[in-house]
Amino acid sequence: MGDEARPGRRAEKGRLPAARLLPGSSRTWLGAASVLLALAAWQGVVAAGLVPGDLVPPPTAVWRAFVEILRHGYRDTTLGEDIGATLGRALAGFGLGALLGVPLGLWMGMSRRASAAFGWIVQFMRPLPPLSFLVLLILWLGLGEASKIALLTMTAFPIITSASQAAVRGVPELQIAVARSLGATPRQVFGHVVLPASLPMIFTGLNIALAATFSTVVAAELLAANDGLGWMVLSASKFLRNDIIMVGIVLLGVLGMALSRFLLLLDRRLVHWRGRA
Amino acid sequence: MKTELLWPFTVATAALLFAAWTAASALNLVNPLFLPGPGLLFSSFLDLLLNGYKGYSLPAHIGISLMRVLLGFGSGAIVGTLIGLGMGAAPLFDALAAPFVEFLRPLPQLAYLVLLIVWFGIGETSKIVLLFLTALPVAAIAARDGVRNVPLQRIQAARALGASPAQIFRHVIFPSALPEIFIGARLAVGIVYATLIAAEIIAGSNGIGWLVFDAGRFLRSDYVFVGVLLIGLMGLGLDFALRTIERKVVHWAGK
Repeated sequence: MGDEARPGRRAEKGRLPAARLLPGSSRTWLGAASVLLALAAWQGVVAAGLVPGDLVPPPTAVWRAFVEILRHGYRDTTLGEDIGATLGRALAGFGLGALLGVPLGLWMGMSRRASAAFGWIVQFMRPLPPLSFLVLLILWLGLGEASKIALLTMTAFPIITSASQAAVRGVPELQIAVARSLGATPRQVFGHVVLPASLPMIFTGLNIALAATFSTVVAAELLAANDGLGWMVLSASKFLRNDIIMVGIVLLGVLGMALSRFLLLLDRRLVHWRGRA
Repeated sequence: MKTELLWPFTVATAALLFAAWTAASALNLVNPLFLPGPGLLFSSFLDLLLNGYKGYSLPAHIGISLMRVLLGFGSGAIVGTLIGLGMGAAPLFDALAAPFVEFLRPLPQLAYLVLLIVWFGIGETSKIVLLFLTALPVAAIAARDGVRNVPLQRIQAARALGASPAQIFRHVIFPSALPEIFIGARLAVGIVYATLIAAEIIAGSNGIGWLVFDAGRFLRSDYVFVGVLLIGLMGLGLDFALRTIERKVVHWAGK
């Protein structure tokens, strides 16, 4: 988030002095220290026998489990395959959702008729918990990949669609009017004014959708899969391998943060005009 | 821009979809197992309402799910808001707590459900703790940002008038942050609700999410459809309830 750049800007805008952040470097050090302290306390509590180590595996045991599955894989899958399966599903569903959602959202933003025709469907889908229709999708498409990809597409689609629509609606009328009065064709207005002006918000929608897709893929893998990190976590729980569950949770957390960072990076590259319009 | 009549477009797509659905089931184009018709759906709804499902009445399933949401969301939102207020007011606490909150927030909730079940058993405790952990980081980040965005002039004005730090927090910072806290709460309740449905599907023996999953296992797709529609309506209801409270409590938001 570029926290280092923040305090100065906030001060200029006249924000609460008490809420000003510490300088970036000391923030990082303090954060690292508090994480290390928590890990040490966790290790200590287990070493002192206050909680059983097989129920709450200490950090060293989690590390050993990580090295173990890194070398030998988990059951019949390597760790790389499991990470690949989870990421592949999430990205396939997210990609399809974006492929359908962005054009539909743009159309709904441009045309009030299209928005009246399809808006209610998107608005009904949006608050619906994705897993509730997984049961139907399994009934229709079987237990294989198709039902999972469809589920993830349906998770990402309504979020992306409504963000794209709202983005187009948010383009200042004045910008469009100016382009039109300078003789731009409707196609030029769309390509050179509407699309660039709505991209920042579309990217925000994509980021939210990717996070939702990533949560949902894990849930889907817990229910119906033979590989992937979600499956690994569930399978490990059946053998009471809490250390492997912990490895899975940490990996999922790191992957989730990496995905969102990646999209943020893409956003900065592609939409470098964000906030400067 | 001239106003044009738009509702005919909404009615047109809705009518088209409904007609296609009715025709498909009336002409037996699709197996009712895959897509039950409107008539069957309504009679199944009445059947569920009158006879309940596997030992619980329909209102009981709904009530159990709502109670879990309220307990988990309520506890998580309260603790999360307190942590977030602390993080917003004290930069040192913010630096210490941020790594945990920021790790927990993007973590897929269901990943730690498995661990919670091992620790707390498959009953209510693991579900409530799951929802607590789901709501907490969302509420904390909203409260922290709410405090950070309080305009400096307001605080300086209060201080110049002789307010103590406690009074400033109670009468200036907290009310100013409240609108953002509520935005966070609405976001959290949506995530908590989606997580609850997933948790009931994976490890439940009652509740509306479990009903849908269990009916699916016995190929009662009519019950599945009714359940999914009810889940959607309950989600809208939860958001509506929170928005009503929001309008009552922070009636000054946006003014």
